[in-house]
Formats: sequence, C-alpha cells, structure tokens
Amino acid sequence: MNNQSVNSQSVNNRTANQQTGSADPGAVMSAAARCRVDIGRFRLDLSLSVSAGEILVLFGPSGAGKTTALRAMAGLVRPDAGIISIGGRPVFRAGDGAAGRPVWTPPHRRGIGYVTQHNHLFPHLTVAGNIAYGLKDRRRPATRQRVADLIGSLRLDGLESRRVWELSGGQQQRTALARALAPSPSLLLLDEPFASLDMELRQQLAAELRAMVSRLQTPVILVTHSREEALALGDTVQVIDQGRTVASGPPLSVLEQPGQGRVARLVGVENQLQMRVATRWPQDGTMVCRTGEHSLETPLADGLSAGDPVTVGIRASDIILAAGPLPQSSARNTWPGIVTGVQLRPPGYQVALDCNGITLRCHITGTSLEALGVAPGRSFWAIFKASSCFLLNDIADAAGQSPPL
Amino acid sequence: MPIRWFRQRDSGPTLGLLAPAGLAATVIYVLFIGLPIVALLVRAGQQDGFVAGLTGPLVLQALRLSLITSAISMIIVVLIGTPFALLLARRNSPALRIIDAFVELPIVLPPVVAGVAMLMAFGRSGLLGPALSSAGISLPFTTGAVVLAQIFVAAPFYVRAARIGFAGVDVSYEDVSQTLGVSPWATFRRLTIPLAWPSLLTGLTLAWARAISEFGATIMFAGNLTGRTQTMPLAIMTALESSLGAALALSVLLLAMSALALALLSAALGRAAKPAP
Repeated sequence: MNNQSVNSQSVNNRTANQQTGSADPGAVMSAAARCRVDIGRFRLDLSLSVSAGEILVLFGPSGAGKTTALRAMAGLVRPDAGIISIGGRPVFRAGDGAAGRPVWTPPHRRGIGYVTQHNHLFPHLTVAGNIAYGLKDRRRPATRQRVADLIGSLRLDGLESRRVWELSGGQQQRTALARALAPSPSLLLLDEPFASLDMELRQQLAAELRAMVSRLQTPVILVTHSREEALALGDTVQVIDQGRTVASGPPLSVLEQPGQGRVARLVGVENQLQMRVATRWPQDGTMVCRTGEHSLETPLADGLSAGDPVTVGIRASDIILAAGPLPQSSARNTWPGIVTGVQLRPPGYQVALDCNGITLRCHITGTSLEALGVAPGRSFWAIFKASSCFLLNDIADAAGQSPPL
Repeated sequence: MPIRWFRQRDSGPTLGLLAPAGLAATVIYVLFIGLPIVALLVRAGQQDGFVAGLTGPLVLQALRLSLITSAISMIIVVLIGTPFALLLARRNSPALRIIDAFVELPIVLPPVVAGVAMLMAFGRSGLLGPALSSAGISLPFTTGAVVLAQIFVAAPFYVRAARIGFAGVDVSYEDVSQTLGVSPWATFRRLTIPLAWPSLLTGLTLAWARAISEFGATIMFAGNLTGRTQTMPLAIMTALESSLGAALALSVLLLAMSALALALLSAALGRAAKPAP
C-alpha cells in the first residue's frame, strides 16, 4: 500500500509539472502529504498526492478521518509528524531529526480554497460580499471584475446583492465555491460539497465542478461518502477507514471491483458470500464455488485450488429478478428464493430474497417492482452473471467471519 | 372602530385561564412604572427654575463630567473587556471557569460595597495605597476614581454580553475566513465583530447606562466634589437640598439620555436584525 502511493505520488508530481509548466512556469499546481494527526485516541495516517487538474476523492464512512485530512491540508489542524506541501512548497514539516527545521504556514498563507459541508457563508454579507471576501483591494475595478466573472461562471447572475439565506441550496453551494475560487487558490478542498442537495442538482453541480477544474487546473481534494459522487468526480479514489488508507486507485477499480472485504463493505458491496472453491474450469475461465447446497460460477482466480475458502462479492445492482429461470439467458447463476423484504433505496428499491438460507440483496427500479409484483412472500429467481461475481480477499476480516463449512 | 387591546391568536392555552389576572397585572405594572415617570415630567414642567436649572452651572458641570467619565469608562471597558470576553468564550480551563463565575459578581454587589472595596484597594490606607502614593498617585476623590468606580460596576454588563455574542459565532466561519487568506486579526475585525455586533452593542449600552447612573460606589470612592467627581446622579442628590428645579432638570436630562440610548440601541439592533429570516 505504502509503496504504491509513493510511486503514484512521484508520477503525479511529474504530470503536474508538465501540465503547469506550459501555463505558468512559476507555479506548481500540486499538493502532497505524508503525515500523522493524533486527536485524542484517534490517529490519522495521511498519505496523499494530487496534481494539477486532478480530483482526488477521499472516500469513507463518517468518522474515518476524511474531514481531519482536509483540515490538516488547510492548516486548521496541526499534524504531529510528517510533511505537507502545497504548490511544491512545504507548509508543514515536523522538526524531527533529519527532516530539517520545522515548517508551519498558517492557513491564511497557504493559498487554498476550502468549502465546508455546511458552506459557512458569512451571514452578514451579500452574495457578492461573500465572493469578494478573500480578495485584496475590494474596491478596485479589477477586483469587481473578478467577482463579476465568478458570478457569471457559477451562474449566480442577479443574486449579487441577495443575502445568503435567501438563496436555494444549490445557489449557496455555488456561492461557497465562488468564494473559495476567488483568490485563485493553488489547492481546492471540498468537504461533502453536494451532501445537502437533491440528486438532479448534485449531478449538475458535479458536472460544473469537473468542467471548472479542468479549465482552471486547480488540484482538488474532495471528501465524500457517496459512491456515485466518488465515481462521477474522482480521478483517483482513496478509501479511508479508521484513519488509515485501505485502498487507492482509479475509481472504477477501487469502487467497482474492490479487492478487500473491508473496502467492499465501505464502498457498499451488498452481497458477500463465504464459500469454498469446488471445481475449476480453466478452459471456460470460470470456477464453481459452493457453500452448503448453494453453488455459483465466478471468474477463475489464480492461486486457488479446490477446497480453498473465498468470499464472493456481488453487487445488488448486478442481480436480476425474474419470475422464472430464463433458460435463454447467458447468465450462469440462477437461484430461486422468496422475497422477505422490500425497502425504498433511491433511485429504486432493494429487495431481500431468501434463497434457501442465504439472503441476496438486489436492486430493482420502481417500474420493475410493479411489473413483477414483487412483495414479501412471493417467489422469484435471482439471476446474475459469473462475471458479476468477484472475489474479495478478506485478509483483514478473516478472523471475524470464517466460512460456514 | 373600537380599539382592540388583545389579539386572539397565538395566545396559548394558559392565557385563557389567566387573562383577567394578566389584564390586572398589566394595568398595575404600567401604572407603577409609568406614573413616577409621568409625575417627574409633569412636575418638571410646572417647577420654577427648571429652565434656568437646565443651563445652570451645577447642571452643566455635572453633565459634562458624566459624559466625559462615562465615555472614558466605556473606551476602557471595550479595550479590556473585548479580548477578555473572547477568551472566556473560546477557551475552557478550570482557572477560566472560576474567573467566569466571578465576572458577574459586581452586577449583584451593592454599589456602596463596591465603593468601600475600592477604597480598601486604592485608598490612601488601602492595599495598593502605599505603592500608589510612592509613585505620586492619589486616586480617591479624583475624576480618575469616578472612572474606576464606573468601570467596576459597569464592565460586567459588557463582558457578559460580549462573551455570549462571541460564543454564538461558529468558529467554522473563522476557519473558512482564514483559508480565504484573511489573517486572524482581520478575521476578527471583518467577521467575528460583525457577527457578534448585536450582543456587543447591547452590552455596551447596558454598561453605559449603568455607568452614567452610578452613585453608590462613586460617592464612597470619589466623593462629591463639584466639577471633579460630582456626576449627574450625585448632583441630583446635592441639588435636591437647595434647588428642586435643578434636581428636576438633571433628572429629566438623565431620563432623556437613557431613553435616547435605548431608542438608538433598538434602532441599531433593528437594522442589524432586519435581514434575519
């Protein structure tokens, strides 16, 4: 894990230099940290790196240390050890031994933009007043032009002299973003920026943010616990849990095919089955896993032989519910079961299907729910492809859950 | 159209039960508080020497002294009280909690006791008396003593309100302000003060009202010397023995000043509060 992040850091720094080198040779638009923050009994081991025009998503459950990570970058929390640099310049360095003399740059000299979860728009100022807050010489025409430009590009036209509580949630969010961008920060920190917005607005703002980041080339660290947001926005996703990075990489590989059980649960793999390898079919590229009388086909994995315990993960959205076994389907796994629960899980429903002792969770849309007549007590077939099953190497949690065989 | 004294809605379930008692209590309260004030104004209008008293040397000297001493007191109260209140609002230590518990003591302490206590501290034979006199400073019966007495009794009103005001400012706002490149001092000036402004203004008005009406501590510690320590309340007492007109003139002036302060405060608060949801 550590080696991996060190490698990716040096790569990122190189791309950062190339990208900004053409635009502005003076500034290196990047940020990196390898530091430790102790708050009471909580310890955050932070190691991250983000380059120009890149969005790094810190993903994890609440209490994982994501916000603390942002606050450490911002200088609102002082790490106990390590180093943080922004724009190629150290803003924090612990004064331990060979690392050299200690460095501490206070928040107001770090050149950052920070949007908190609750925006914290200043209630005594108007929209324009909020946006201009971080700018020097606020009466100068150039400053006014800067504010006007931001109001235009974040579509806040006509709201300049409004008080901030008169704004809708989306407008407040845009104002907070405009305020953070106004002093042209060399690092943008966003803490759950879209958490309080509805789905449609969220997607719209996410697209706007993406466009803005690639235009300004500002590195962004974004904190979220929403998988969708992480997938939609992240260039890199770093999964944080209990103060430690447990996975890091491109969003699709981290969030869609998570390798570790703990990560899988964090990113929401709804079905995790403890099984054993029964038969390998190298010519098909599949293998059969069993537990009790249940069996299913998964992609072939190297280094496993018959009898080895495995944890099979299946996403709820990858399981199809059908009234019959669909003989013409290419899906290799069909399990009959009885519906035990239906739960609203926007944008659709989550159905719990008891397949003879193992409960599978499947996501279906409201339309399918009605068309199929899904209700507790009724029988259905769960159908899923072998390629939708992936193996979780459950090293960290092996002690907690041993296979039922 | 008949005058409607009560509006029926939003009165709550208990008011129906207590409405007659509430009406009677309102009448008694308004009469009790209002009658003396009306009487003061009526009597002042009839009294010989009221107009002459208004411009007489006794009144003018006392007015001048009261305005100057209360202004100096308030400047000192704000300069010392603001950082102190900020510390009380933002830090939490056992020592601060103990200090916090005693901050409001002067509010409940009888002013005469405050005056005696100040004599015991700063008087010629007081705790600091020898030190002060060796430095060539004699406080009792000087204008400086008037200012000290006013600060002693009035400062807690400001500190208490300011502490509540600062505690109400979410530090996350200050965090965000700093990330925008604004230094801690500028953040205090441009963010914290404006957000706590209604509390600060209320506290300052209450403290000023308390200072300008200060009597007990002043007469004990500063005495009653015309032009030097005789503020308006002291002058009223003195005038009452010789010239009722002057006493009434001073009283009406003091009443007018207090009412004006209250009106200015609510106007300022109204303007600050108008944008609130």
